This record gives sequence, structure tokens and C-alpha cells, in this order.
Amino acid sequence: MYSLPLAFYALALIAYTVHFARRTPSVGRAATALLGAGTLAHTLVIGMQTMEAGHVPFAGTTQAISTFVWLLGLAYLYTEVTTKERGLGIFILPIITALQILPAVQGAGVEPQSRVLEHPLFWTHVAAMLGAYASFGLAAVIGITYVLQFKEIKAKHLVFFFERLPSLQVLDVMNSRTVFIGWLLMTVGLIAGALWVRDAMAMAPGDPRVQAMSLRDPKIFVALFTWAVYTFQMIARRAIGWRGRPAAYLAAVGFAFILLNFVLVSYFLTESHNFGAATPHESFQLSVGNWQLRQ
Amino acid sequence: MMHLLLVGASHRTAPVELRERLDFCSRGLEHAVRALARRQSTSEAVVVSTCNRAELYIACGDPDGAGEDLMAFFSEFHQLPPEQIRPHLYAHRDREAARHLFRVSSGLDSLVVGEPQILGQIKEAYSVATTAESAGPLLNKLFHWAFGVGKRVRSETALAEGAVSVSFAAVSLAKKIFGNLAGRRVLVIGAGEMGKLTAVHLKAQGVASITITSRTLAHAQELADQVGGQVAPWNSLPHSLRESDIVITVTGSPTPILSRAQVKSAMPASRSRPLFLIDIAVPRDVDPRAGEIEQVFLYNIDDLQAIVRENLERRGAEVGRAEQIVEEEVQKFSTWHRSRDAVPTIVALRQRFEGIRKSELERLEPKMSTLSPEARARVDEVTRLIVEKLLLHPTEQLKSVGDSQLVSQYAEALSRLFALDDKDKSAGDR
Repeated sequence: MYSLPLAFYALALIAYTVHFARRTPSVGRAATALLGAGTLAHTLVIGMQTMEAGHVPFAGTTQAISTFVWLLGLAYLYTEVTTKERGLGIFILPIITALQILPAVQGAGVEPQSRVLEHPLFWTHVAAMLGAYASFGLAAVIGITYVLQFKEIKAKHLVFFFERLPSLQVLDVMNSRTVFIGWLLMTVGLIAGALWVRDAMAMAPGDPRVQAMSLRDPKIFVALFTWAVYTFQMIARRAIGWRGRPAAYLAAVGFAFILLNFVLVSYFLTESHNFGAATPHESFQLSVGNWQLRQ
Repeated sequence: MMHLLLVGASHRTAPVELRERLDFCSRGLEHAVRALARRQSTSEAVVVSTCNRAELYIACGDPDGAGEDLMAFFSEFHQLPPEQIRPHLYAHRDREAARHLFRVSSGLDSLVVGEPQILGQIKEAYSVATTAESAGPLLNKLFHWAFGVGKRVRSETALAEGAVSVSFAAVSLAKKIFGNLAGRRVLVIGAGEMGKLTAVHLKAQGVASITITSRTLAHAQELADQVGGQVAPWNSLPHSLRESDIVITVTGSPTPILSRAQVKSAMPASRSRPLFLIDIAVPRDVDPRAGEIEQVFLYNIDDLQAIVRENLERRGAEVGRAEQIVEEEVQKFSTWHRSRDAVPTIVALRQRFEGIRKSELERLEPKMSTLSPEARARVDEVTRLIVEKLLLHPTEQLKSVGDSQLVSQYAEALSRLFALDDKDKSAGDR
């Protein structure tokens, strides 16, 4: 079901690449249209799953990745429409396309959900974190393009990016804004997550995943570390003048940690954040209702 | 058939002394275009006159006679002996005239390839002709087509891209660093001519202020008056530097006037704006190592000239693609132009068919009088549709024939086959 959006994203990636190379306006419009179609198809898929399950499917890692891809697509489309700049598409679409392969291949369906997850704080946590990641993803791409253009201007050899990207000042301001929005959302997400753990401990003390919710869990540790990186980026910008290039590098580093946490850690390392990854059998065993019956 | 004809002189064929004398704008372009439209040989007229070209575009029935007449018009209008002008004039007709105008409007025929002004100048020339009511169906089509070609070449190729003068290169760099230049503060150190030129370009981009500082206050004051800036005393240079976003240095000083340390001190951590240093002095005014500072962008005259050279080369590399677009459009225009040959035949054919339909309906009138009005309307409708359908394909075929000889053969055959006698044809030939 995730293959249709993936197909659109892949086509959009090709169109953005061609547009970047040749800058034919019609190809640029086609690229935007393809991305729009992909995002729309993706919205329908997520919407159908929501109707089917009665909740937005983002508890499992694969579903969360799909939702993140969707949010990143929306966030990028928003910047494209507001700034009228298409030059960043060629940097965003590879991330979108590559990440969308995971849900498309794994075919993440709707899985039964623990009752402990039907909690407003959990929803706030997941929604805010995914929103934050999408914003940081954009910030990272903006940062990378800043560095590319910065190097070209410093090297006094204006061949490639010069005609294709927004000005340094615009990129720096966009970086600052997207990092701030991401940081704000992430702060909300982390607080909501921490508060939820307190409630979840009371609701499902026997669930090993809830028990694993501590700083020792790699997913939580890396998330807090990432938050610290972005906090530092924002403070350094104002306090020690780390604008432009250093700010761009930090945004990219922060997002590298997010991708690491989001894909590798989620699939292989975390003990706590794997609510959707369990097999149907396990999730039945682990379901809170079951646990309560056994009492 | 109406022919297109162009007679003109440009920077490629005429020296500047002659071009100056061939300027049609001197007595008002409208006066010129009206004078041209009054000539016997011209049915439609547009006059394009810029500092690099003077061109007459007309639609006419007899291009040979009109060609002579336009050359005569050149010498009469400018009161110059014909033998002095003739060697510098070129004449193109139909397809070649369209190609020439499309190349002009896309900037391919300009002195600096891809320069942006020409499209505006042609639009202006055309609008003057519209005011004078001298442009008709053929030239209307031709000029609108030419505007489209100009736009297409600019958007699909890099022919008009990149600054091709040092001061524009500096301005485009400033835009790439700062985005919008509104609100930026410019400092000019020294009072050289290049500094003035760049400052004027920056001013046109809406910078907030231009401050001029020079060892000789009078020189600074003079330049400030010319560009609408203010003067800062030489000894407050460090302060002026800290306050500025864009600095242009043009002093005649034999040694650098800005050291790396001086520039560094203008870039405290609290400074949120980059500093763009444009050193167009020879010998250089700014220590090249100042460009190593993180948010300082330093360009000297050689760097800017290298950019200009690169841009010119890149434009040159785009010429082929632009010519290809022009060629495609010439082909399309030419097909449209020739299709107009077929118009009288098409009209005659339609009238013939419509005539048959009408007369048959009249003949059946007694039998149809018993029918209800709805049924009669239906009969009318059906017969009309049959005629339409029968004529649809032949009409399209005739319009798409690109060869005028073939068109006349087709016309000949059709008028024999369908007895499109002279009376019918002349009725259609409006």
C-alpha cells in the first residue's frame, strides 16, 4: 500500500534532478506536481489506515517512518510554495524516497495497539517528535545547501549552485527558523513522553517495554543527546556567533543522529520503543488487556 | 499572398557613425512608423530602432518592389544619399525575416549575447506600431510570436544568465550573499570611477545607504553628491567598516589600506551579517588574507573579471540550444504563414458546400413543410454537421501543407473537382 506514494516520490526525485540540471520550468512544475501527488496518495494511505484502526498508525517503527516521510514531504512543499524556490528538492527527495522504501518493502499494516498507547500524552509525544524530525530534516538539507553555496562563493568559482539555490542569508534564516520550530516540537515531545512514562508505569507495570523507558535505553539516550545538539546550535548562534556555516554543520550533525536513532536504533537496539514491531503473537501476549486478565 | 519583408542595418553591418544617423527614434518612433505605413508598397509596418539596430518590418504583396521602396525610405527619411546606406543594409523576406526577428528578440543577435533589454525594446516598437494602427494580422502574429520565442529562450537556456560586466557581477554576488539588498549599508573607500558605477548599481537595488570615505574629503563629497550618499571622515574607517555590509575599495593607494586584523576587528561574534568586500583597486586595497575570515567574502577585480569571462563563455555555450529553439519556432511560424495561402481555397470550398446544402434544403422545402419546427431544426442541424464533418479533414490538411507550390496545386485540383469557379473564389478571397 505504501508503494504508490513511493512510486510518486521516486518520479519526483527524477524530475527534481532533471530540473536542477536543466532548469526547465515545466519540469520544475512537474516535479512539484509529482511530489504533491505522492504526498496526497500518502495522505490517503495514512487516512485509510487511521479509519481502519481507529487511530493514526504511527506507533510502530515502520509506520512512524512512513508518517515522518509524509510530514517531511508536507514541510518541504510548504517551504517551496512560500519561498518559490525549487532548488532544495533535489536534496530532500532522496531522503523521502529512501526512507519510504522501508514501509513499502515491509508493508507495515495496521497492528493491534496496546491500551497503554491510547493516551493523549502518547499521541502528543509521537506527533510532536515526528513533526520535530521533519523540521530538523529540512534544516539539515538547508544547512547542506548553505555549505555548498558558501564554498562556491568563497572559492570564487560560481558554476553550479550559484544560479540554482537561494541566497546565503535566506538559507541561514531558514535554517534558524526550522531548527527553532523543530526544537520547540521536540521539547514538547520529550516532556509529553516523560509524563506518559509516569502514567504508563502505573497502567502497565508488567510491560517490559514500559519498564525499559529510561536513559539507559539507546533510543531515549540518543534522542536527548540530539536535543542537546540542537539546543547548543541555537545558543551558539546567539552567544558566540556560530551562524552560517557552523550552524549549518550542527543542523546536519543533529539530523544524522536523528536518522540513526530513527532507523538503526529503532529496529535493532531499543528495548522500549518497539510497540508496533512485535509479531501479532507477541503483541497479543504483551497486550495490556491480556496482562490484566492474567492478574 | 501577404509577404513579410525586413530591411535594416545593425551593429553587424553598419559602423556606429552610420547607426547614429539611421536612428528612427530621433524624430519620434511613431512619426517614423506612420511615414512608413503611408508608403504604397506597405500594408503593415513596424519600426524597430535601438542604438544597435534600425529595422523596418512590413507586410506587402510585392516583396521585390517593396524591398526597393524600403531602401529608398531609409535614405529619404534620414536624408542620406542611397549609395552611402545601401551597402550596410540587409533584406530578408518571409521565413528569413521571421528568423531574424526571433534571433533579435531572443538576444542572439545582440552585441552582448543574451542582453536583457532587447526584448523590451521590441515590445516598445510593437506597441508604438499598435498605437499608430500600422500593424495588421501578419505583423501582429509575427511580433507576438517573437515575444514568445524571446521568453522561451530565456527560460529554457542560460543564454541571458550571469552578469557580463564587473559591476553587475559584484551586484549579483551581493544578492547571492544577502538575498534582498534593501536595508543593506554600502561603504565606498576611495573615489574612483568604478566605485561610482558599482555604487549606482547597488543603489538601484534599493540599498539603505551609501557612505563614501576618502583621504581627500573633497573627492568623497563630490562622489557622494553624484550617487546620493553621505561622507564619513577617513579616521573613522574602523567604525564605518563595522557598520557596513558591502564595502567597495577603489583607492589609488600603493599599499593595502585594510589589513586582515582590521577586517577581523569589524567582525565581532555579535555581528549577525556577513561582510562583502569588493576590492576593485589596482594595486589591491585589501589584504587577500582577509578573505579567510569566516563570514567575510572578498573579491578583487581579477576575481570579478574571471566571473564575467566565465559567464560570457557559458552564454556562448548556450547559443546552440537557443538557435535550435529559434529554428523550431521559425518552422512553426512558417507553417502558419503558408497555411494562410490556403485560406481562400478553404473559404471557397466551405461556401460551395454550404451553398449545396442550402439549395437542397430549399428544394425539399415543400416536403418538409408538414414537419414540426423541432424536426425541421433537427434536419438543418444534421445536414450542417454532415458538411462540417466532410470538410474537417480536408481543411486541416490544407492548412498544414508547408510548401506554397503544393498549396497552389491543391487549390487548383480542388477548384476543378468541386467547381469552385471564379465567382465563388473571389467571394471567399477577402
